[in-house]
Amino acid sequence: MRVAELSGAGGASRSPADRLAGPVLLACTVVAVATLVALVGVLGVETGRFFTRVSVVRFFTEMDWAPFAEEPRYGVLPLLAATVQIAVGAGVFGVPAGLMTAVYLEHYAGARVERVLTAVTALLAGVPTVVHGYFALNFVTPALRGLWPGTEAFNALSACLVVGMMILPTVVVLSRAALKSVPAPLMEAGLALGAGRGRVVARVLVPAASGGIAAAVFLAMARAVGETMIVTLAAGNQAQLAWSPLEGLRTLTAFIAQSSLGDAPNGTLQYGALFAVSAVLFVVSWGLHAMGGFLVSRRRWAGAR
Amino acid sequence: MNAPPRRRDLLGIACGVAALAVMAAFLLLAVFLLGEARPVANPGFLLDMPSRLADRAGVGPALAGTLWLAFLTAALALPVGVGTAIYLEEYAPRNRLAALVGSALASLAGVPSVVYGVAGLALFVRGLGMGPGILAGGCTLAALALPGVIVTSRASIRSVPEGVRLAAYSLGATRWQVVRGEVLPAAAPGIVAGSCLAFTRTVGEAAPLLVLGAVSFMTFAPRGPGDPLTSLPTQIFAWTTRSEQDFAALAAGAAVALLLVLLVLNLAALAVRRRLRGASR
Repeated sequence: MRVAELSGAGGASRSPADRLAGPVLLACTVVAVATLVALVGVLGVETGRFFTRVSVVRFFTEMDWAPFAEEPRYGVLPLLAATVQIAVGAGVFGVPAGLMTAVYLEHYAGARVERVLTAVTALLAGVPTVVHGYFALNFVTPALRGLWPGTEAFNALSACLVVGMMILPTVVVLSRAALKSVPAPLMEAGLALGAGRGRVVARVLVPAASGGIAAAVFLAMARAVGETMIVTLAAGNQAQLAWSPLEGLRTLTAFIAQSSLGDAPNGTLQYGALFAVSAVLFVVSWGLHAMGGFLVSRRRWAGAR
Repeated sequence: MNAPPRRRDLLGIACGVAALAVMAAFLLLAVFLLGEARPVANPGFLLDMPSRLADRAGVGPALAGTLWLAFLTAALALPVGVGTAIYLEEYAPRNRLAALVGSALASLAGVPSVVYGVAGLALFVRGLGMGPGILAGGCTLAALALPGVIVTSRASIRSVPEGVRLAAYSLGATRWQVVRGEVLPAAAPGIVAGSCLAFTRTVGEAAPLLVLGAVSFMTFAPRGPGDPLTSLPTQIFAWTTRSEQDFAALAAGAAVALLLVLLVLNLAALAVRRRLRGASR
């Protein structure tokens, strides 16, 4: 039985605040739920309207995204592919660096270094993504063009690098929490068996925390998939399948941000496309996030083999 | 952890290099930003209007817009979010419906901000007829912050030991007395910290506001929720997309201004937290 269910015993002494609190708090919950249901509902309704006019099958199978062409074509695959490319690319940079930083913080750093590094991570987490985007376009891209003169002004690599930087704090904080949850005796046992610190960390502690680390990766990927400003500013707006990271491409999020700069009038196909693309984005990132959340919820020290 | 003396090994060195890289990336960002912003480092920049002439432009309207948005977001999301968290933790019956509502709300924390912008465009700007103003922006940002506020507040409330409630009930306290007198004071520092994190992340958002139809060229500062939508993040975006070098400096200046706003908000939250922690002892 839950403790809260004991109450109500003090019936006689119920003050007005007591009688009001329940309904007011319930009202808060209703407002919160209603707002979010309305937002998701609107997204669903407009997406449904779009798919009465554009075939779902063609939307998911055609390779051509040209909503503003004379004969508009709505094949979402190039946008989806670009989103995956950027997220995976960001993961390639962000996940190993973040995980290794977490290992360093948890098992190697002295107190002072730990304090500084934790503060830097927190500060990095607070940087708005549009500022990251500015950094990508005005610092990273020129640097890349210095290295490889053929690099396009808008390119995937710059976006990947900076999105990777953006997800660092998520990876660091969550994997560190996972490493922390591994019982200390495991380390002691490993050391007592004569293994070096590095070996115990790599062979015992990191595997023991792998569930939580996987959750960190999923949540970081969810953020990378939904990242808008960095890719809009740095990766450009060519809805194409890019084979070289030095070319530009256009993600789901970048399409939304760019096409709404002009104002699509209500009820047009372009307006509908905004919602269909958002719905795809919603499903992908919601799935990644739910997967991460699931892994966090069952994260416990699950035994190292 | 009082483990044996830290020995340098291969893994330690590799991880140290990674940590150094993280630090270097942050420093690079900070130094580059400050360096780029130097040409506009004058107090007038914070108050002036945007202009087609870069050397006369300022972030006055954008700054005012962001402050209005921050105020609206906090005023809408914090009471509703914390109220929902208290209800779900302390009042709601423990049944399937409550569990479903709780996990559905939490899962919305993973939805990208730009999607909130698109849904807000349909719901607030067009559906409810608010138009692309500060009010619609505040409502959208509040909706965006809501799941985060609820999740972190619930976690802090849940971390208050059950014994505290049990003791209060056994002394004859009513449910609200328990919540108001025992649970909230103990959970408050955590609620403030978590909500503040969700809230400041929202204040730096550009994507949803762009989708709603934020303007980047205003000749007056917004004076209320009815005025056109403008903000520092969208102003940074607008200036960054201009190719002229002068506008890059303006964007950097606006970015520094935005970071200062976020810093002040965080310091304020820290002060409130210290206070609450002192009070609950």
